[in-house]
Amino acid sequence: MVALPAFAQKIEADVQCKPSGKNLIYDCTIRLTRGGEPLSGAQVTVGADMPSMPMAHNTRPVKARPGKNPGEYHARLDLEMQGEWAVKLRIAGPVRDQIIKKLDFD
Amino acid sequence: MDEYAIGVLTNVGLLSFVALSAYLLLIAGELSFGQQAFFGVGAYAAGIGTAMLGWPLPAAAAAAMALGALAAFLVGVPTLRLRGLYFAMATLAAAEMLRILLELFHWRIEVGGETVGPDGTQGFRGIRWIFERGVEPLDFLAIVYALLALALIAFMLMERSRLGATLRAVGDDPELAGCVGIPVRKLKLGVVAASGALAALGGALFAHHNTYIEPRNFDVMLGVHSLAYALIGGLGTALGPLLGVALDIGLLEGTRFFQGYRMIVFGGLVAALLIWRPRGLLDERVVHWIRSRI
Amino acid sequence: MQNTLDGIALGASYALLALGFTLIFGVLRRANLAYGPAIMLGAYAATWVSLNFHSGLLFLLLITLAVAMLAGVYVERLCFAPHRQGSAIAAMVASFAVWMQLEELATLLMPRHLYAFPPLYEGGPLSFGALSIRVELLVMLGAGAAICTGLWALLYRTRFGNAVRAVIDNPAAAGLSGINVSAISLRVFALASAIGGLTGFLIVSSQEQVTPMLGMWSTLKGMLAMMLGGLGSLPGAIAGGLALGLIEAHSQWVLGPQFRDFISYLLLFVLLTLRAPWMNTRSAY
Repeated sequence: MVALPAFAQKIEADVQCKPSGKNLIYDCTIRLTRGGEPLSGAQVTVGADMPSMPMAHNTRPVKARPGKNPGEYHARLDLEMQGEWAVKLRIAGPVRDQIIKKLDFD
Repeated sequence: MDEYAIGVLTNVGLLSFVALSAYLLLIAGELSFGQQAFFGVGAYAAGIGTAMLGWPLPAAAAAAMALGALAAFLVGVPTLRLRGLYFAMATLAAAEMLRILLELFHWRIEVGGETVGPDGTQGFRGIRWIFERGVEPLDFLAIVYALLALALIAFMLMERSRLGATLRAVGDDPELAGCVGIPVRKLKLGVVAASGALAALGGALFAHHNTYIEPRNFDVMLGVHSLAYALIGGLGTALGPLLGVALDIGLLEGTRFFQGYRMIVFGGLVAALLIWRPRGLLDERVVHWIRSRI
Repeated sequence: MQNTLDGIALGASYALLALGFTLIFGVLRRANLAYGPAIMLGAYAATWVSLNFHSGLLFLLLITLAVAMLAGVYVERLCFAPHRQGSAIAAMVASFAVWMQLEELATLLMPRHLYAFPPLYEGGPLSFGALSIRVELLVMLGAGAAICTGLWALLYRTRFGNAVRAVIDNPAAAGLSGINVSAISLRVFALASAIGGLTGFLIVSSQEQVTPMLGMWSTLKGMLAMMLGGLGSLPGAIAGGLALGLIEAHSQWVLGPQFRDFISYLLLFVLLTLRAPWMNTRSAY
């Protein structure tokens, strides 16, 4: 099986979100790495799904802006309510992938 | 088409499978609060198939459908003796038990250097078959709608056949149907198994679209929504459930016109609509009227 | 023993929820899925008032009751009155649609995940040797007993009660004998919502917090308790609620929290499929 290239391409993501000060709007910092190296130059879209009824309660995805440091991106999320959300990163560019992170917003 | 529009359309397609499964039960006269369970069975089975056992998606989806049908049949055998709200509550109890079992389900193995598999309430991530195979979002959308079209054709053929008429007769009055020699129980068990397979197919596709699933995805909200979609769209034709889903997700979610007030607007519309049309927009009378014109 | 006490406390709140459900079910032969969300809206309104005006408990109780009753009447007029002769499924789905409305209204009012609610009683639990009894439990039990007595007197000692029981027995015959079924149904909804509101108030003030899960929790637990005790029976609702509370407390103790809900659903499933005689499963609701 030639599964190795897929493994080598696997992207790791770290997402941190903090309240922007405005109600239910959060500023998120995303750090992408691939094989331990920061992954810059990717197009990242960030959305969020509720764990219950994920197909109906989602937020409109936003495009993330590249940050100062390599592999860093910023996005602003506008949620419907507090609580646990599944943050969905869709990555395009050098490689196409999708990563889901569970985060608590409060 | 932008990626968001593709995503919304894909969600409409995925939810249509569960709504269709609720519709099939409704025309046979059964109200279930538990179709989300078979959607969940399909999602977990197909995810295990591709991400853990290395199967191709078609094989995993077929296995998911078989498992969904089996699970629905096993729930149907004891519950189909019950009527109305009793059946609904028994299916809800079965679905909630299954969801709790999924919360306790841990089975993690090494695949290609990383651990994948269901991890209880932490969910099951890394169902990446369509990304590993380079299936573009538009291609996946085409796959979802091709399968949905197949299901619709099957429904249309069934509803025009003797089987369709028999099914509606059973739905209208099971005692009478039994008296004229229709094997009501066998027919309903068949309906229950078919609806389980249909919901499981939706779940299998959902797991791969989302790459991540968790037990809470399959709580009672999904089941009651699918019931509502089938009833809003109309019980006269299999296009009804699709219309119901499209109205909710497509129109309101897609346009974001009522952001923040979506459920208040939609909930009011649904309640008002049901006063005017208690069997939905495309009910039997409308469908009959349209058929007589073409 | 401590588990049994905790179970009775929990069971008392389930029994009250089930009573409201059963009243509505008895009169309409319809399940009102929006029952819990109406309670939640009442509790949310009271929490909002409490956070903004620091009002006393009694005023908060009145707010909860008023908003829950208003929501209940709204649900009856929009979802149940139009379908009285018609489809039970349409009525139920309409009540689900209104559930979504009420829940969104509540979260628009207060979008956070958790809000504090003023405590029902400030002091600690009373202790008798090794056992400790929370004062909230005694209040819950006292309220439960008072509501049951009051309800019994209302149903068996007043003209209104006679009419309600006539509608429960046979709505068509009650209508023919000159009872205004529509007015009775509206009042029963208001009554059931008031019981629900009071229960909701007792629950949130003894837990000292409100979360958005309150709506679904109340609907599910109320329906479960109503079903366990036998659909449409008022004594059954009380028995079902107490039984559910005891089962949950003991199964949590023996098997752990994840099995608590599993056991109660399993019991419901088994009793339904074995067609337990008191559940009246031969009728076709």
